[in-house]
Amino acid sequence: MLKQILNKFLILNDVQAAIVIEENGEIIQSMKSGIVINEELRDVIATIMLDSKKTAAQFGNASLSMVFVEFSDYFLILGPVMEEFYLVIIAKNTANIGQITYEMKKNQDAIVSLL
Amino acid sequence: MIDQLPEGKSIGWMQAPPQWIFTHTVRFIGVVRVVIQDGEGFILIKKGKPLMYFFKHGRIELRGHAALDYFNSHPTIEFNLCKYTPEEFAQALKICEVEENLPGTTVMQEPAPVAPAQEDVAQEPAVEVQEISTDEHFPTELPETPEPEREIPVAPVPTKPMAAVPAKPKVTVTERVFVPQPAVLEDPDIKIIGQIKKLNGIVAISVFNDDQNILLMGDVEIEPLLKIARTMLATTNKITPLLYWGSFVHMTLQIPEGNVIIAPYHENHLCILTTRTINIGHIRRILRDLQQDRSQGIRL
Repeated sequence: MLKQILNKFLILNDVQAAIVIEENGEIIQSMKSGIVINEELRDVIATIMLDSKKTAAQFGNASLSMVFVEFSDYFLILGPVMEEFYLVIIAKNTANIGQITYEMKKNQDAIVSLL
Repeated sequence: MIDQLPEGKSIGWMQAPPQWIFTHTVRFIGVVRVVIQDGEGFILIKKGKPLMYFFKHGRIELRGHAALDYFNSHPTIEFNLCKYTPEEFAQALKICEVEENLPGTTVMQEPAPVAPAQEDVAQEPAVEVQEISTDEHFPTELPETPEPEREIPVAPVPTKPMAAVPAKPKVTVTERVFVPQPAVLEDPDIKIIGQIKKLNGIVAISVFNDDQNILLMGDVEIEPLLKIARTMLATTNKITPLLYWGSFVHMTLQIPEGNVIIAPYHENHLCILTTRTINIGHIRRILRDLQQDRSQGIRL
């Protein structure tokens, strides 16, 4: 079921990966196309998750809504779905961010129900 | 006097150390309107050369270097750069009763000005001095040949509460000497930062590096924002070597109250604080454009 939901992201233009990951770096489920989720990428995601949570807390204990890290070729969007679980989307910079974030919000409850 | 000055064209409000004004206005002609607590003042500038310092708080009026000393007693001041047309500038000179030096007589070409010692020297050009006691009499004209080989001492920034501002503050010359700083931001940069600040939903924008905040536009406390920006920067520094995704463009942290965005900007970084309703796509395009311009070697 989770794969089906993640596949909704993968069919979006230029999306390369959709991952549900736990804060400790354990990948719960992932769908990918043309990208390898290796140890380094896991480290990157784990770093963004932990650091961003801490950074958001500096705003009077604000909760983290979303993190968006963009490079010239790819970008990564990370959004918490529930405590310690995050949805990560990796896409080429030509992908439609608005569409991705819309799908992330739309499918959040469905993902939570499966975790 | 402030009210009589021509309005000029506002480039934008910002916060920076007073020295920043002199090192970043080499091509600027106009007035820098300064606000410190309930008082306000101005510095009339022509291409990095201050022609008049003025500050007023209640009944207290500070002119010349008394005003400059007061500005310098604050680590950062809030100010608005307002460009003048030649007509407006001429009008401002008249109002301030400043007689400009004739062409060729201006010695100080460097943007870092230094204050002469006399208390009321509104019409004096800046003088580069060092290690001279306050009792010495300073020339009212600039030396024809500055001595660039001299080592210029770092100017300490005295702290002086507003209530304690004397009409004629005691000043030492070394306190007035500015270390010329590398011009990290130029007029076009300030204009671009100002334009970004004017976009709907931008609360504040800062240009910073590892050591200091270089420029801030917006009404926020800089230190907490910088702390967050540096934390985000540390995160990007950790992840960038692990990815082969091209050059870093930006990192945006979204919280219920809004967004914090960091992005490279020349040798420095931008930190942008926005409302939640901002069009991220718009900001993203701007940041990408800035980087493309940079990679093409175009100085903005």
